[in-house]
Amino acid sequence: MSERFTESGGPLATIKGALLAIVATLGTVGSAITDAIWAVLRPVLAPLDRALQPVAAAWNRTLGQYLGEVGGLQFVVLLAGIGLILLGPFWGDPRALAVGCIWAIFAMAWDIQSGYTGYISFGHSALSGIAGYTVGMLGFNLEAVNQFVYLGENAPVVRIALPLAILAALVLGLAIALISLRLRGPYFSLVTLVTVLLFMRLIRAFSEYTNGENGIAGFRFGLAPFHLGDPVVRYYWMAIPMLIVAAILVVISRSNVGLILTGIRENEAAVSAAGISPTKFKIASFVISSIPMGLAGAMLAYFQGSVSQQSHVMVDNSIEMIAMAVIGGMASILGPMFGAISLVYVEETVIHAMLSPGLRGLALWSLILLIFLVARDGVFRRIWHGLGAVRGDEQ
Amino acid sequence: MAVDVGAILVQGALVSALYALVALGFTMIFGVGGVLNLAHGALVMAGAYVFAILSRDLFGIPALVPPFVALPIAIAITAVLSYLLYVGFVQFIEENPVVTFMGTVIVAVWFQDLIITVLDSTEFSISFVQGTVTLPGFGTEIVMIEVVGFLVSWLLIGLVWVYVTKTDGGRAIRATAMSERGAQLTGVNIAAVERRTWLIAGALAGTGGIFLGSVNQVSPTMWLGPLTLGFIIVVVGGIGSIKGSIVAAYLIGFLEIGTRQVLGDDFVGVLSLVVLVIVLLVMPQGLFGREFVHE
Repeated sequence: MSERFTESGGPLATIKGALLAIVATLGTVGSAITDAIWAVLRPVLAPLDRALQPVAAAWNRTLGQYLGEVGGLQFVVLLAGIGLILLGPFWGDPRALAVGCIWAIFAMAWDIQSGYTGYISFGHSALSGIAGYTVGMLGFNLEAVNQFVYLGENAPVVRIALPLAILAALVLGLAIALISLRLRGPYFSLVTLVTVLLFMRLIRAFSEYTNGENGIAGFRFGLAPFHLGDPVVRYYWMAIPMLIVAAILVVISRSNVGLILTGIRENEAAVSAAGISPTKFKIASFVISSIPMGLAGAMLAYFQGSVSQQSHVMVDNSIEMIAMAVIGGMASILGPMFGAISLVYVEETVIHAMLSPGLRGLALWSLILLIFLVARDGVFRRIWHGLGAVRGDEQ
Repeated sequence: MAVDVGAILVQGALVSALYALVALGFTMIFGVGGVLNLAHGALVMAGAYVFAILSRDLFGIPALVPPFVALPIAIAITAVLSYLLYVGFVQFIEENPVVTFMGTVIVAVWFQDLIITVLDSTEFSISFVQGTVTLPGFGTEIVMIEVVGFLVSWLLIGLVWVYVTKTDGGRAIRATAMSERGAQLTGVNIAAVERRTWLIAGALAGTGGIFLGSVNQVSPTMWLGPLTLGFIIVVVGGIGSIKGSIVAAYLIGFLEIGTRQVLGDDFVGVLSLVVLVIVLLVMPQGLFGREFVHE
C-alpha cells in the first residue's frame, strides 16, 4: 500500500511538490527579505554608525569589557530598546508589558542554561511552577504552616515566601541537573520533560494541599506594590527586576563562564580536554538558571494573585519559553528578552483584541511556526548582526 | 483495598496492546531517521478525531459512514497526515535534532489549539462496540471495545512484523535502521524508506488513537498522554527496537493498571515516570538496547 504514496506521480506528488516549494521558499524568502532590507538600509546607516562610533568606543573601553563590545549603531539601538522598556507605560499597555517582563526572565533563564550549553530543557516550567506553588501553598496551607513556624495571619509574606520560592526552584533545578547529567541530546530533553509531567501528576495526587486542578487563587496580600491599584507602579515592580536579571545574565554570559558553557555546546570533549569539568559547569548553568526562574515564578504568582497548572506548570509553558528564546535568538540573553516582550505584547494586545478566545492560541502558534521557518536563528539576532555589519568590515 | 490480580492481568494485557501500537510507530521513526517525533501524540489524536467526525453526529456534522467503514478510512487519513507532516515539514529540519524536537512539539500544540478552535474542547467517548464480556476463570468483566482494540492491535503488529521481516520493502526499513550507509550501499532508497516509515507509523498511531479514544476519552489534550507513554515505552524497551517496545509496552501497561488498582487514579503515570528515570540512569540503552549497531 505504501508504494502508491512513495513513488512519484498522482495528486500526492503534486501536494508534496507544492509543500516542498512553500517550505523551501519560506526560508529563502526570509533571508532574501532580510538581505534586501539591509541592502537598502546599509548606505543610510553606515555614516550614522561611523558618527556614533566614539560613543560606542567609550562604552567598549569601560563597561563593554563586562557586557560585550558593540558597534555605534548597535549601542544606540540597544539603548533605545532598553529605553522603550523603561518608558513602557507611556507608550503601551502596562499590564501586557508587565507580563512580557516576567516571561522575559523565563526566556533569559532558559537561554543561559539551554541556549548556551545546547542541552535543551523542556523542564523549565517545573522550576517556575515550584516557585509559584511555594508561594501559593504557603498561603493555602497557612494554618498548618503556622502551627510549625508562625508566619502571621497574612502570609505568604513576600520576605518569607520569595526566598523560599527561589530556594525551591534552586533545589529542583539541582535535582533535574543531577538526574540528567549523564544524558545528552533528546534523552536530556525528554527527562526534563518528564519532570514537568511528574510535577503535574503530583499536584493532582496531592490536591488536598495544592487544590488540584483549580489551583490556588486570591493571595494578593503580603506584597504591597502588587496590589496597588496603579498598573504603572506594578509594571516597574516587574520591569526593574527583569532588567537587573538581564544585566547579571549578560555579564555571566560574556564572562569566562559563558565561554565555557558555549564550549560545552560546541564541543564538550574539547572542554574536558582543556582540563575543565563540563559536569561542574552544567550544574552551574542550572543554578544560574534556576534562581531567576524561581524569582519570576513567584513574581508571576503574585502578579496574577493565583497559581495553577495552566499558568505555571503545563508543558505548553516550557514550549512557549523556548519559542520566545528561539524567536529572539538563542544564546544571546538579550535576544530572548526582546523576543519574549514582543511576543507577549503581540499576544496580549493585537491577538487579544482581534481574535476570539479560541483563535488566539492558534494564531500565536501559527505565528511562532512561521517565524520558526523564516528566521530560525532568531529575529533579534538578525537585526543585531545586521546593525553590526552596516560598516561592511564584518559579517 | 483488595487487589484484584486477575483484573490487573486482563486489563493490563488489553490496554498494553494499544500502548505497543503507539510506541511501535514512534520507535520505527526514530530507528530509521533518528527523529524523535513529538507530534506522534498529535497523530494519535488525529486518528481519534477523524474517526469521530466520520462516524458520529458531532460538531454539527452528521455521521457519514458506519463505524466499521470509518475505521479503515480514519486510519488511512492519519497515515496520509503523518506522511504529509514528514514530507512537508520534518524532512527539512531533521538534520538538527533540537530544531526537529521543537518543530514537532510546536506542531502538536498548534494542532491542539486547532481542534479547540475549529471543533471544541469537550471530552467525549467514541466507543463503537457496546457491551461487556466475562472471561471464564478470571471473573473480571471486561468491555468489548477493549477486546476489539486488542485484536486489531495485534493484527496490525503482526502485519508490521511480517512486513519488516518477509518483504523487501520492510527489510529495507530494518536495514536503514541498522545502518543507513550500509543500506544505501545495497541500493536502498533512504528517502523512500523514511516516507514509508512515516506512513506506517501514522497508520499505527491513528489506530491507537481510535481505540484509546474509545477506551478512555477523546479531548484536545489527549496527545500528551500517548506521547509520554510512547516515549517511556520506547526508552525502557530500547530506542529503535521493535521487540523491546512491545515488551516494554506490556511492562508499563501492567504497571499503570496495577497502580490504578492499588493507589488510585491520581497516581497513574507517576510510577511509570519513575521507572523511566531509573532505566535512563541505570541502563540508558534500555531493556533490549540497540538490537543493531548504529553506523
